[in-house]
Amino acid sequence: MKTTTNLPRRDFIKLSAISGAFLAVGFVPLGEKESKIVNLSKTATPGNELNPFVFIGTDGKVVLYNHRPEMGQGTFQAIPMIIAEELEVDINDIEIRQSPADEHKYGDQMVVGSRSIRNNFNNMRKMGAAAREMLMQAAAKRFHSDVSECEAKNGYITHVSSGRKISYGVLVRDASELEPSNSPALKDPSQFSVIGKSVPRMDIPLKTNGEAKFGIDHQVEGMLYASVERSPFFAGRVIDYFGEKALQVPGVKYIFKTSRDVWGKKREAVAVLANSYWAAVKGRKALEIMWHNGDLKNWTTEEIWIDYYKASKEEGTTFEEKGDFENIFDKSANKIEAYYETPYQAHAPMEPMNAMVSVTEDKIEFWGSTQNPNGIRSHLAEKFGMHPDKIIINYTFMGGGFGRRSLMDVVDEVADLSAQAGVPVKVIWTREDDIGQGPFRACSLNHLRGSINAEGNAECLDHKIICQDIRNQSGYGKSPSSGITGGVITEYEIPNFRLNGVLRKHHIPITYWRSVYHSTNCFAHESFIDEMAHEAGKDPLDFRLVMLKNHYRYSQVLKLVAEKSDWYKTPDENTGRGVAIVERSGSFVALVAEVKRIEGKIVPYKFTVAIDCGIVINPDTVVAQSEGCVVMGLTAAYKSAITIEEGRVAQTNFDKFKLMELYETPQVNVHIVQSNEAPEGVGEAALPPTAPALTNAIFSLTGKRIRRLPFKLDEV
Amino acid sequence: MLKFYLNAEFCKLNGFVNYNTMGFYKLTVNGQLHSVEADPDTPLLWVLRDNLGLTGTKFSCGIAQCGACTVQINGDPVRSCVMPVSSAINSKIVTIEGLSIANSHPVQKAWIEEQVPQCGYCHSGQIMAAAALLEKNANPSDEEIHNGMRGVLCRCGTYPRVMKAIRKASAKISKS
Ligand code: FES
Ligand code: FES
Repeated sequence: MKTTTNLPRRDFIKLSAISGAFLAVGFVPLGEKESKIVNLSKTATPGNELNPFVFIGTDGKVVLYNHRPEMGQGTFQAIPMIIAEELEVDINDIEIRQSPADEHKYGDQMVVGSRSIRNNFNNMRKMGAAAREMLMQAAAKRFHSDVSECEAKNGYITHVSSGRKISYGVLVRDASELEPSNSPALKDPSQFSVIGKSVPRMDIPLKTNGEAKFGIDHQVEGMLYASVERSPFFAGRVIDYFGEKALQVPGVKYIFKTSRDVWGKKREAVAVLANSYWAAVKGRKALEIMWHNGDLKNWTTEEIWIDYYKASKEEGTTFEEKGDFENIFDKSANKIEAYYETPYQAHAPMEPMNAMVSVTEDKIEFWGSTQNPNGIRSHLAEKFGMHPDKIIINYTFMGGGFGRRSLMDVVDEVADLSAQAGVPVKVIWTREDDIGQGPFRACSLNHLRGSINAEGNAECLDHKIICQDIRNQSGYGKSPSSGITGGVITEYEIPNFRLNGVLRKHHIPITYWRSVYHSTNCFAHESFIDEMAHEAGKDPLDFRLVMLKNHYRYSQVLKLVAEKSDWYKTPDENTGRGVAIVERSGSFVALVAEVKRIEGKIVPYKFTVAIDCGIVINPDTVVAQSEGCVVMGLTAAYKSAITIEEGRVAQTNFDKFKLMELYETPQVNVHIVQSNEAPEGVGEAALPPTAPALTNAIFSLTGKRIRRLPFKLDEV
Repeated sequence: MLKFYLNAEFCKLNGFVNYNTMGFYKLTVNGQLHSVEADPDTPLLWVLRDNLGLTGTKFSCGIAQCGACTVQINGDPVRSCVMPVSSAINSKIVTIEGLSIANSHPVQKAWIEEQVPQCGYCHSGQIMAAAALLEKNANPSDEEIHNGMRGVLCRCGTYPRVMKAIRKASAKISKS
């Protein structure tokens, strides 16, 4: 199994086009999940990129392309696995290449919302199957037989009755003359031999010896490095700056005023350009800048909370309603009410934000790690009034993204610097830049009220979300972001239910963060369901099961997690368990946290995850993603948060924005439901229930209810 | 500091313009001797990455808080983001690129077998720290592993596998 990843190798196919025949199959995207399969074998002309998904040379060498940027979520391997399954080639014999950014040939390439597999599963299967059928037709002709008498396996077509075999390589010339079918016969899932297997990821060996290239690693001839001093205050403006001292630092070449667009707002900055990163950083330290700090210089997070508590009294927008909450709740004898607070969070991917752009008269080129390569192309096309075809996007592996790398702000700023300097410019954000500037996950207040009837069942529930809306940061009047109520389980059978929100506007920039609103809403929702269960005197897992008895998939993961976590075995007096569930990106997760009191301290000890994500492509990736979600969920629960003091972010680097470490990592056991449902997203699903399962477990052990994140574990 | 003055002196004598800041440093990296020109306070990290093109060593925090930049100096794990190049002369520096040929170090093998990396960005540092730990203590207890890996962060949350892989590598080393 081989990989060439790093940057897409653009010349490979051009050369092959000239030197010999090959079979190249790709598609023309027709909307989010649809496409038309096309034979690209004859479209190669010098300078024209084929950009296929399947490439087979006359030597039988098979190259499969992954068109989804890789940030650790595993699609680099999973997309080709799906093609290989239907193409009938040995996954160990193929080469995987990262495709270029080309929306005409690859459709949507933005990796957000755990969509890569669920939106591409059918397309990729059809792609592999169509190519296989072309090869089978070519073989049948040679065998003077019907296609139905042939079988494809491991890169060969066999004539079943005679046992004669021809390799794919030999068939390439003939197959490349044929038209692909757009409704090829797909395998029965029970026949899958690659899908569902934990195939070792091909990108991993590159990541254990330093070979994998990330955005930050890329260099080009004549480039300059930029380090940029941005206003520490939100919406600060540059009044004046003095760069004389900075220019004396050896290696420093230019000082420019610049800006970047963050959700339609211009954020001003002063940049130092130098011939090395270190010189740029030193120059930046020597800059003198006078800032106008706007009206926000005394702002604190506390003021936001005051505003949110006030807003919680407003009626807000009703998103969903059944029964008659207001009346029944009023009359109810057994009511409870609670507020939950979840803070701003930084994404803090380990690879700091960075990008390199070269802007010239007739061409723009980008190099870097991005979740949204085609978005960069459109952004730069618009910014510079250039035709999109003149903009080349080279994207690399990402050192984590979590939503942060889907934004254009980093590119916007460095493109401006390249245009000013007239050379390729690479910006590398410091960790302090990353943590201090955001955009962040939104903080939110959730107000919940509920009641229990005489039989001990949930009677009323009102869930109100008070937060900022990502999409509406720069203007009023648009509809709220879809997903703003994510993590609220509307399927619970509660006769009187209301789900509403009060959307507030603040100057703190926010954006998508792994699992987005699910991460904040689910904490409140699943904590409160726990409170209701205790109020009703019911087992919290059974309480949920009763309300979801008609929902097969929720019930199934709940039962599985109960079994695997020994839920019904009474724990010893120093152990507590808590449960929480969620539906995120189509996947259903039930999670049980087990905490222990060890030498008087509360220790998150074991997390049991049951996940139903439909058909599984690579089970080991599902496990890995779930483990990662638990760790990131715990970090957000009790390690760190972003707060604002005196108008600026109080945290600067990993000394104040703490991440979970190895020594404090609990056991994570992941159990996957066998399913024939369509495949769903796994990169975020186990994150939302992690915090509420943990705090529910702490409640069951200590009787202390935690309603504000992050909490201090050693103060519980 | 002494080394710094010596180098500044050397530059001055040889007529270099920026004699008061830039210096030439001889570094032994992965068994090869290199001569680099840099500011004496330039962190070794950036000399490795920008001057020598060894981009396997990563930048993430710049203040010795995350371990992404870990290299081995004379066998010890060192955060190269806070080590001035001027202090790195006369020592044996090993980066991820020089840890082994073709991923053959027991730690790398265990990392691949356990499928540890996700995004992979932190793992040059994780592997260099783990290899240094096992070099000194081939059979560490869980607590010794925890201590040895303190301050080596992974935002993707690969810790459960890091733990398994270190145990596996330890078993491999103990066996051989
Ligand atoms: S970059 Fe050196 S420890 Fe973080
Ligand atoms: S694997 Fe992504 S930071 Fe560790």
